[in-house]
Amino acid sequence: MSLALYYFLAITAIYILMSWGLYLPYRVAHLHFLTVANMLISGYLAGFLVQNLGFSFWIALILGFAAGGILGYLISLFIGDAPTFTVVIVGFTFIYVSRTVVENLKAVGGTMGMFGLPTVAGTPSTHRTVLLILLYVLVVVVGFLIYRFEHSRLGRAASAVFVDKDLATSLGVDIKRMGRLVQTFSSLIAGGCGVLYGFIYRSYHLDFFTFHLVGIFMTVIFVGGYATMWGTVIAAPALYGLTLILPTEVASWRIVIYGAILIAVLVLKPEGFITRRLAYRVENALTRKRKRHITDPKGD
Amino acid sequence: MQVFIAQVINGLSLGSIYVLLATGFNLLLIVAMIIHFAYPQVVVFSMYIAWVVLRYTNDNVVLAVLAAIGSSILLNLVSAPLFQKIMKNREEVDINTTMVLSLGIGMIITDILSHGFNKGLPIAFPEALAGTRPLLRVGLISILSGQVSSLLVGVVAVSGIFLLLYKTRAGRAFRAIAEDPAGARLVGIPIVRTGLESYALSGILGGLIAVLLAMLLGYTSPGLGELVAHKVLAVSIIAGLGNLVGGLVVGLALGILEALVQGYISGSWSNAIAFVVMLVVMLFRPRGLFGIKL
Amino acid sequence: MAPSETLLSLEKVSVAYGHINALREVDLEVRRGEIVVLIGANGAGKTTLLETSLGINTPLAGVIRFKDKPIGGVPADRNVRSGICLVPEGRGVFASMSVLDNLLLGAHHNMHNVQKNLRRVYEWFPRLAERKHQIARTLSGGERQMLAIGRALMSAPELIMVDEPSLGLAPIVVNDIFEILVHLNQEGYTILLSEQNAYKSLKCAHRGYVLETGRVSLSGTAEELLNDPGVRAAYIGA
Repeated sequence: MSLALYYFLAITAIYILMSWGLYLPYRVAHLHFLTVANMLISGYLAGFLVQNLGFSFWIALILGFAAGGILGYLISLFIGDAPTFTVVIVGFTFIYVSRTVVENLKAVGGTMGMFGLPTVAGTPSTHRTVLLILLYVLVVVVGFLIYRFEHSRLGRAASAVFVDKDLATSLGVDIKRMGRLVQTFSSLIAGGCGVLYGFIYRSYHLDFFTFHLVGIFMTVIFVGGYATMWGTVIAAPALYGLTLILPTEVASWRIVIYGAILIAVLVLKPEGFITRRLAYRVENALTRKRKRHITDPKGD
Repeated sequence: MQVFIAQVINGLSLGSIYVLLATGFNLLLIVAMIIHFAYPQVVVFSMYIAWVVLRYTNDNVVLAVLAAIGSSILLNLVSAPLFQKIMKNREEVDINTTMVLSLGIGMIITDILSHGFNKGLPIAFPEALAGTRPLLRVGLISILSGQVSSLLVGVVAVSGIFLLLYKTRAGRAFRAIAEDPAGARLVGIPIVRTGLESYALSGILGGLIAVLLAMLLGYTSPGLGELVAHKVLAVSIIAGLGNLVGGLVVGLALGILEALVQGYISGSWSNAIAFVVMLVVMLFRPRGLFGIKL
Repeated sequence: MAPSETLLSLEKVSVAYGHINALREVDLEVRRGEIVVLIGANGAGKTTLLETSLGINTPLAGVIRFKDKPIGGVPADRNVRSGICLVPEGRGVFASMSVLDNLLLGAHHNMHNVQKNLRRVYEWFPRLAERKHQIARTLSGGERQMLAIGRALMSAPELIMVDEPSLGLAPIVVNDIFEILVHLNQEGYTILLSEQNAYKSLKCAHRGYVLETGRVSLSGTAEELLNDPGVRAAYIGA
C-alpha cells in the first residue's frame, strides 16, 4: 500500500483511540488530559526498552499499556472525583513535567529524540501491515468495551454524574470509583497509543507529544459529539483527512483550522455533529431490524 | 547577600506580573463568569503587537504600549460574545464549556504566533522597552533598568487595580457580582454590562502585563503563552479560584520563590516549582490555601 | 395622611417561569404615601410580584406602570434609577463586604448625593454608623435588615418594596423594623411590603392584598382585612 494511505490509516486509528480516551472520562465531565502525558511516558519508556535494552516490541507494548494504567490509576486516587478544572490542570502539569524530564534525560535522547527504532516484524512493509492490523484490532476491542460500558448500568450512572454530580451521589453512584475506572482505562489505552505512535514513525520526538495533541483530541470529541462514542469515529478521520487534502500551505495552519472549527461547533452546534439523539435513533433503527428487545428506554 | 537582594527584586517584578495576571483571570472568572484559559495567550499576542509597532515606528514606546493595551481589549471584547453565547446562565460559571472555548481560542492564538511571526522563533525587544542597561551595581550584581522599571510599573499597577476594586464604584459592582450575582441584580447592578466591563478591564490589564513582561524578560515566544498560562492557573488554584487577595499573596510569593530558585539552583527548575506546589495543593487542599470565591 | 396619585399599578399582570404560572392577572395599585401589604403563604407569588415590579422578570401579559409610565420589560437598573427599590428577602446584604460598601452599593445609581444620603441613613440607623467598617457577615439579623433597608434608602427611592421583613427575626426586632417602616412612611416614602405574618404588617398598613397561588383573592383596607374571618383564620396568628 502507499505510504500516504498507511500513515492516514495508522494516525487515524491513534486519533480515534486517543479521542475515545478523552471521550470516556468526559462522560463524567472530566477532561482527562493526563492521557497525553501517558502517551509520552509510555512511548519513551517503550522506545528506551526496545532500543537501549533490547526488549521485544511486544513486551514493550504491554509494559507501555501497564505504565499508562498504573500512572492513571495512581493519579485517579486523588482526582477521581475532583472538579473538571482540577483534572485539566493535573493533566497539563504532567504533560509539562514529563516533557521537561524527557528534555533533560540523555538516555532517551533529550531534545533530539530517538531514531531508527527496529521494525516490529521483518521488513518495513510487514512492519507496517502488522502495526495497522494491531491498531485496528485495538480500535475494535476498545470500541466494543466502550459500547458495552455505554449500554450498561455503569454507562447510565456516568450520564447521571455528567448532568448532576450531587444528584448522582444521592442516587447511590460512587463518583470516586467511576472516576477512577474511566481515568485508569483511558490512561491505559493512552499508554499503548504512545508506544504505537512512536513505532508508526519508528522514532520518538518531543514534537510528537505537545499541547497541540490536547487541542486536536479535544476538537475531535467536541466536533464529533461528546455524548456518544460514534462522533469520534467519524470526526477523527474527517478532521485528520482534512489536513491531508488541503494544500500544504493551508494545512500547516491546521491547528488554527481545528481551533476555529471547535469554536464554531461550540457556539453553533454545542453537542457536536453526532448528538445523543441521533445516535440513539440510528442504533434503534438497526436493532429494531434484528427484532431485538430494547431494554434501555431513553434515559438522559 | 547580593544575589539574594537582586533575586528578591526580580522576584517582586515577576510576582507583580503574576498578581496582575491572576487578578485579570479572577475578574473574568467572578464577574464575567468565565474561565479564560487563553488570557495569558492574549497577553503574549499583545506583546507581539507591541513588538511589531516598535519595529515600524522606530521604537516609539508610547505607541507600542497603547497598541498592546488596545489589542488586548480588542481580543477580549471580540471573544466576549462567543463566551456569552455558550454560557447557560449568567449567574454561575459554566466551567466545562468556557474552559473548552478558551482552550480553543488559546490554540488559535498560539498557532498564529508560531506561524505568523519570525517562524515561531523567539523575538527580542529593543533596548527602548527591555532596558538591559545596568542601572545600579550592588557588588557583583547589576540591576538592569528593565527590572527596575518593571518593578515600579508592576507595583503601581497592582496598587492601582486593588484600589479600583476596593475603593471605587466600579470595583464595588465587580465584588458584588462576585459574591452574589442574583443579589447584585436586585440592587440594580446590570450584570451583562458589568460583565463586559470586566472584559475591558482585564484587557487593559492584559496590555499592561504585556508591556511589563517585555520589560522584564526582554523577549517573547509562542511557547511563552502556554507556560505563563499554566503558571497563572497555578497561582489561582493555589490561592483559591476567584480569590483576589489570595492571588495577590500567592502571586508575589511565587514570583519571589521562583526568582530565588533561579538564582540559587537553576533556570529550568524554577518553572517546576509552581507546578509542584500546585499539584500538592490541588491534591491535598483542592479549595486552595485561601478558599474559593466563586 | 391622604393618599393621592397612584405610584405603582399592575393591571392584569401575568408572569410565568417556563410552564409555571407564578402570577395570574394580578390587579394591584400602590398610591403615593401609602403602606400596602401583600399577604400570602409561601409560593403564593409575593416575591414574584415584587421582583417583576422591579424589573427582574418581564410579565407575560398585563401592564405595569410606575408614575404612569409603563415599565414592563424595563431592566431593573433603570427602574432603580427611576425611584423603585427592593429590599429582598434573605439576600439584602453582601455578607463579605463592609457596611459602608453595602450602603454605597445602594447608591450605585445615585452617586451625586451620596454623602447627604449616607448621613441620613446614619441618622436613621445609628447602629450602622457605629459599625460602618464592619463586615456585614458579623452583624446580627436585625442589624442586617436595617442595613438592607438603609441600602435601599441610599438610592433615594420613592417606592420601597420590602420582601418579608420579619423573616428570621426575633419578635422584638420585628417590632423595631415595623416601627422603622412606619416612620419612613411618615417621612414620605411609599412602601409595598410582603408578609406571611399578617397581623403586625396589617396593623401598620393602609391597605392590603391577599395573594393565593398567583391570584389576588381579596383586597381592601387594612381594617377590613384584619376583620375578615377568612384572613384571620388563614394568616393571622401564624
